[in-house]
Amino acid sequence: MLILIMIEDMLADLGCAAVTSAATVNQAIALIESQNFDVAMLDMNLNGEMTYLVADALATHGVPFAFSTGYSSDDIRDGYRDRPVLKKPFMDKELAEVFTHLLRRAALL
Amino acid sequence: MPDIIAKSDGQKIAEAEVDDFRRELGPFVVAAETTRMAMVFTDAKESDNPIIFANNAFLDLTGYTREEVLGQSFNFLMARGTDPDSLARIDAAFAGTTGGSEISYRRKDGSVFWSAVLISPVRDESGVIVQHFASFVDLTDHKREQAQSRMLIDELNHRVKNTLATVQSIVWQALRNASDVNVIRDSIEPRLFALSRSHDLLTRESWEGAGLLDLVNAALEPFGIGNGRSEHFVITGRNIRVSPKVTLALGIAFHELATNAVKYGAFSNKTGSVLISWTIEPSPEGDWLHLRWQEKDGPSVTYPSRKGFGSRVIERGLAHELEGTVDLDYRSEGIVCTINFPASNGARDG
Repeated sequence: MLILIMIEDMLADLGCAAVTSAATVNQAIALIESQNFDVAMLDMNLNGEMTYLVADALATHGVPFAFSTGYSSDDIRDGYRDRPVLKKPFMDKELAEVFTHLLRRAALL
Repeated sequence: MPDIIAKSDGQKIAEAEVDDFRRELGPFVVAAETTRMAMVFTDAKESDNPIIFANNAFLDLTGYTREEVLGQSFNFLMARGTDPDSLARIDAAFAGTTGGSEISYRRKDGSVFWSAVLISPVRDESGVIVQHFASFVDLTDHKREQAQSRMLIDELNHRVKNTLATVQSIVWQALRNASDVNVIRDSIEPRLFALSRSHDLLTRESWEGAGLLDLVNAALEPFGIGNGRSEHFVITGRNIRVSPKVTLALGIAFHELATNAVKYGAFSNKTGSVLISWTIEPSPEGDWLHLRWQEKDGPSVTYPSRKGFGSRVIERGLAHELEGTVDLDYRSEGIVCTINFPASNGARDG
């Protein structure tokens, strides 16, 4: 939970005006269906559950996203291999690069 | 299931040879028949190495009857899902270039087992290989242990990475909010020790969880709960089991609450005290754990002009982590923090 506060601070420093977080797959999907997000960061594993359902929801709603993971051996499922992955722990510089890349690509579409 | 093949002449001759063995080498054949190591003899005179003898241990291991096995090619156990690599390794063992290999086999019921297969030639007086002798060591347990140990290493790595990220966030906050070295150290060290105490607690219980009462005592130990200020703590609640995740989250939360109490609250004067209490109560969504931290007789509390890291951790971080609600109430007579979360997220009786 300290990590969440740090990531929020990193994102605020990058100029994100609002940051919303979800702790479970269901919470995340409910948020994606009720709000518009410019960009998302998705932990590959929430409470021991893989989060591909959330990835599917983000893809359906056209929200650009990157994965984050603390596992070194997580295999990314087909269809998501081209998504950026942030390996924990990561530096604010890496977060900035990934989000800049995601938002730039989204702007070109 | 392989078809039962009519015995060829070769098979009959080979079986007769085994009978000869039985007569000539009585005790050894009895040993091969009764040992718990699975064994077969194959006929080297035919190209597919048909099985001419199988002991009871082999039949127990594979689930076949003797009639189903005798006369079958040595590789019949791999009939389904055979990979060319395994076949090549078996061929090499029969050719004598290797002693054997680890092979994945199927039992009659279709279940898979791993076996170390060791193959040795049996020669006649003139040195010609007439048979092969193959023994099977069941590696199923070994393979399961290997997989489990792989899983434990992955899990350990995951926890270490998360811990490093947590340490990173502690350092990040300290450097963000202060430039004085002493202030930075005072911000980092106590939090690292708080994290360490939660780890100790979880390690004692093989990372399966911790008792809530033990957790509170461990978190408040540096604040004199065990000695010095014990009269300033009133704790009511049973030693309910909580998950590792909840243990880590509450460990940090209690540390932040107590640190704040030392700076501004009930631990900053001689008279102040804190009441920590919890109950489990049923609700339509299942049992909820209601936890309360209530300070009294400290200095009069005023709402902070700026919210610090500690209060953000408690109000936002903790609520997120526990999938519950957290309220930090700055009452003038003392801070009251209420923490409510679904007991299924890591708390259970016992």
